[in-house]
Parts: sequence; C-alpha cells; structure tokens
Amino acid sequence: MLLSLTDDQNQILDFVDTLTKPYAGVPLHDTSLALTSDALDAELVEGGFLDVAAIPELGAVTAALLVEKLARLPFAVESAATALVRPLLDPELPRPLCLIEEGQLRKPVRFLKAGATVVVVGKSGVRSFTVTDDLVRDAGDEVLYAYPMAFLTAIPADVRTHDVSADEVLRAWRVGLAAESAGLLAAALQSVTTYLSERKQFGRPLATFQALRHRLAEAQVMTNGAYWLAMRAAGTGDAGDAALAALHAQEAAKRVAYDYHQFLGAMGMTLEHPLHLWTYRLKALSGELGGRGEQALAAADTLWGAAA
Amino acid sequence: MDFNWTEDQQAFRQKLHDFLASTLPDDWEEFSKHGPASPALTEFARGFCRQLAENGMLFPHWPKEIGGEGLGPWEQQILAEVMWEWGEPRGGQYMNVNWIGPTLVKYGTEAQKAKYLPQIASGEMLWCQGFSEPDSGSDLASLRTRAVLDGDVYRVNGQKIWTSYAGLADTCFLLTRTSDDRKKGITILLVPMDTPGIVVRQIPSLIGEGDIHEVFFDDVVVPASQRFGEEGQAWEIIGFSLKNERLGIPRYHLARTALDRAVALLQEAGEFSRDAVRIEAGKCAALCEAARTANYAIVQRRVDGLDVGGESSSARYNTVMAERAVAEFIVEFVPEALTEGQPYLKMHHQRGIVAGIAAGAAEIQLNIIASDVLQLPREPR
Repeated sequence: MLLSLTDDQNQILDFVDTLTKPYAGVPLHDTSLALTSDALDAELVEGGFLDVAAIPELGAVTAALLVEKLARLPFAVESAATALVRPLLDPELPRPLCLIEEGQLRKPVRFLKAGATVVVVGKSGVRSFTVTDDLVRDAGDEVLYAYPMAFLTAIPADVRTHDVSADEVLRAWRVGLAAESAGLLAAALQSVTTYLSERKQFGRPLATFQALRHRLAEAQVMTNGAYWLAMRAAGTGDAGDAALAALHAQEAAKRVAYDYHQFLGAMGMTLEHPLHLWTYRLKALSGELGGRGEQALAAADTLWGAAA
Repeated sequence: MDFNWTEDQQAFRQKLHDFLASTLPDDWEEFSKHGPASPALTEFARGFCRQLAENGMLFPHWPKEIGGEGLGPWEQQILAEVMWEWGEPRGGQYMNVNWIGPTLVKYGTEAQKAKYLPQIASGEMLWCQGFSEPDSGSDLASLRTRAVLDGDVYRVNGQKIWTSYAGLADTCFLLTRTSDDRKKGITILLVPMDTPGIVVRQIPSLIGEGDIHEVFFDDVVVPASQRFGEEGQAWEIIGFSLKNERLGIPRYHLARTALDRAVALLQEAGEFSRDAVRIEAGKCAALCEAARTANYAIVQRRVDGLDVGGESSSARYNTVMAERAVAEFIVEFVPEALTEGQPYLKMHHQRGIVAGIAAGAAEIQLNIIASDVLQLPREPR
C-alpha cells in the first residue's frame, strides 16, 4: 500500500502543470457555455501525455491522475476515454474517443464530431468505427452541458469488433468517469471557495459564515472521497472498485452542483463566472452509464454477486 | 501509488485472523453483546490482551525498545481493522494501542514511561480519558476542573462527564485547569482511579453497558510527579492525541463488515434480489470505501512522517457518513437486527451514534476542514 505519488508521477504532473499554465484561466470576455482548445489538445497529444497508461512504470493510476488534473482546467479536453479506455482497444484509434452504450442513441455524445472514434459497448460486445459527417447531428445552440456535444444518428454496418469484454471496457469507462469527475469537483470547489473568501456581505467575507463553511466542508469530504476512490479503481483494476468510484463521483456531483451556484448568489447565474464549466460538465457525467442507480447495482453485483 | 497490500501485509492480516479464530471462545459473538466497555468484556480483555502481548500482536507497530515489533502505521491499521471485524475483543484497551501509548512515548518523562509502558505492554491496563465536563463539550478549552499545586502535590476539584471506561479504568488521563489562560492554562495529570475523593457514576446510555460516566473529584491529592508534560502543555499534547484517536477506530471497516453481514442475511432471506435494496447497499459500500481510502491517505502521511493535519478531520467526517448510512440500511432492511440474535449489527447500530460525537463532534471536524483544508477565512469570535 502506497498512497503517495512516485517521483515519476510527480514529474509528469509537474510537466502537465507547466504545459497547461496558459490554459488555466478563462479567456477574457469568453462567455460560451462550453470551452475547448484545439491547441491544448494538440500539445497533450504531442507530449504523449494521454498514452501514459501503456508505460509500465506509470500505468493506469498515472493516467487517472492526469485525467483528474486536466479536468480542473476551464477547457474541456477529451482525456478520460483516450487515456483509460483506448489502451484496451487499440492505442492507434483516432481521437477524440466517444463512448456510447449500446441502444442509447437518444443521448447526446460528448466530443462527437466527424473523424472521432465511437466505441459502442453493450451486449453485442465492443465495437468501434470512425465517425463520418452523415452520422453526426448537431445538437444545436441549446445544449446545457459545458462539453461539445452532438447526436449520433446511426451505427454504421461496417464496424470493427474488439477482442475485449464489454465488462472490461465498462470498468475502464467508470474509472475515467470517476477521475474526470474528481477533477471537476475539485476545480468547482476551488472556484467557489475563492469567490466566497473575497466576496463580502454584512461587512465580512461570505466564507466566514458557518452556514456556508459547513456545506463547503462536506463538499470537500465528498470531493476527497471521489479522488481517492478514482485512484484506487485505476490502481486495482477491480470492477467493483470502478463501480464504487463512479457511483461516489455521481453522488458527489448531485450533492454539490446546485449548492455551488447558490453560494455565489446572482453571480452563480451568469456565464461571466466560470463555475458552470465544471458543474455543467459534472451534470453531463451524472447521466453517463445510467446514473447513480446503475453504478450502485453494478457495485452490488461485483461485491455480493448478481441478483438471484 | 499502489493500492495493493504487500505479501507481508497480507500475511500479517491473515496471522491476526488465524489467531483470533483459534483464541476467541466459541460463544464470543454472543458474549460480545455485553459491549466493549462492560465489566464482563473488560475482564475478558485483560486476559485476551495478555495473550496478544505474548504473541507480539498487541503493539506490533511500537518500536522494539518499548516492547513492540517495530512494524509500521499500515500494520497498525490492519491490526485495528481485524480487531473491529471481530467485534473488538480488546475492549477499552484499543485506546492504549492507538493514542495513550504513542502519547506517553512522545511526551512522558522517563519515570512515567518506565512505570506505564510495561503495564500497557502487558495488556492488563485500562485507561480513561478525563476530558469533557458538564459545561465544556465541544468548547473543551473552557474546562474548569481545577488543580492547585500545594507543595509537591496537586489538589484536584471538579467534575468530568461522558467519560468512557471510567468505572473500570486503572488510571485517568485527566485535563485540569492550573491557570486562567484559556488554552495555556490546561495541564494533564495521570490520576490513579482508586485515589480517595474520586466518585464515578455510570450514565445509562444507548451505546452499551458501562460506556459513559460522570466522574467527581473532591479534593483529590495527586503527586506532582504525576503531571504529564509541563504545566499548560495539555492543549499541544491532546492535539497530538486526538489526531491519533480520530483515526483510531477504523469505523469504516466496522461499517463495511456490518454491511456485508446485513447483505448476507438478506441473501439468506431471499430479499437481496430487489433493486431498491441493492442500490442502497451499493451506496453504503461507496461511502464505506471512500472513508477507507480517505483514512488510508492519512495513514500514508504517518508513514511519510508528516503531520496528519486537517485532512484527518475529512477522513473522520467521511467515516461518520459511512457509519450512519450503514446503520440506516440496517434499520430499513434488517429491522430484526436491533432486537436480538445479531450482536454485531446491533453493536454497529449502537456505535453509529458515537461516530459523530466522540473525539470532537462532527461539526468541529467541519470547522477544521473549513479552516485548515479549504483555508477559508476564520469566523469572527
């Protein structure tokens, strides 16, 4: 048991810190609901950061650490599927990777665009294909999630079948979901505590009021738990750990998202404060893989056996 | 990061399980109904801890020079988990292992260490913790039990309350006021409980037989050599002790064990096929395991020689959430467990109340997280 970072992990995270420094702030006057950067994406690919899971001395925990760290940025980066799921399929699959559940075409898909790889997971196994223009339906301007999103209109006849079990891909998907959520939770919390420590009402910072302090502290507890469960799930590769991590992440998101906006008062309703970039991503992740109930059932199946 | 136990650690856990399986009496579970603070279990624990000590399992994480095996904080955690998995047959002596011993080693005089460490190491000594008073609970620094130096003795007058194990303890780790300075006026005395002038009254409680007491001190004479640390040093010392105590009982593991047992009962009854039950069980497990990893993160800090810091309050609060969730699961889905026949589930439920109260109320943990972890500006006082 070792819960501190290795030297290699510290070094990689330091590299990423340096690389992402120009992307740590929200561009002035940018009030878009979603925020992406092709330049950031390209730099991460070039540096090989999204491929660390395949390097034996780094592995899935380092990949999860990176996903967590990148999720803290205001810019949305497709890192979880690439860093944690792609190594199970084919490290050469074109990015971004879009994971969808078989039979769930009604749901909008994160990062979907022409040229992306869609991975379909379900009872027919694990299949992938490269997305062409005709398969993408724009989700319009009314998407209330802070990721780029689109609809997949159909699954083409010509797909590639991967020799990996759907359960194994679901496991890695859950690890990615948990690690990304952990980063989003941490960034949202940081953003709120900073604002409340500065914003004064009744002659003192709002963060000095116990009504807010205790709820923020509870949010810290959930955030901390989400982080550690995500890292453990990455480290053990255990399906039960992955389900628990995803469940806890989705629970935490549900608990904190509205509180955070409310704590900011009217500022929490604006696009001028970046909070929504993290909370609205958390909301998008809340509905993945069937939501909390499905993660809980998956955890129960693994921990105590399938329902008789 | 590596979330797997080493082979040695796995072997250590197995060795403890094997020892308990072969040492505890066949009717242990039924016997444990008395509760960890009961006279019956305290008496049993004296014999059992002596056996643990003889087999190097009472303080494996202590340095060899004071009777331990020189193992590390991970082994301390494994030890605690296994003991609670079996219903804590050490009774109140778990406190010696977790914080009284380490505190003695760090702050005791040579004479005090020579006097108490062998007694603790023999597995026969029980302590109680004289902290809370009727008017000083969460606001512990307002305590008023007075100790006045009179030549080479202190004369102690006052009252403690909610004191666990006081009825059977040999010695009290007592907080007293020696000056009016709020925190720097508090001094620790190690007081034999058979000293004339001490009266103990048990308080009937929801949490088990013999668990909480009032302790009255009426002109109790304590030799000055029984002072622990300097006059006024208590606040620093108990800061160290409480950080150890907060993590002392692996309640997340107790909760997870209770959850597994509750699920097994539901499976036997054919009730664990309903999604409504399975979902709640999954949520409980997530809280237990989140608490476990949060606690392990603190153990790692100990391994690295770091101060456990405010993060220990976060781990503690997470543990409270887990304990409560499991206790609620039990009453919702296994209500019969709170009557008879399931001593472990009953014990877990009884102790579910304690988690948010003892070693600093849950709200105090939230205050510490807000100030020390989130670094929020302080509340005005």
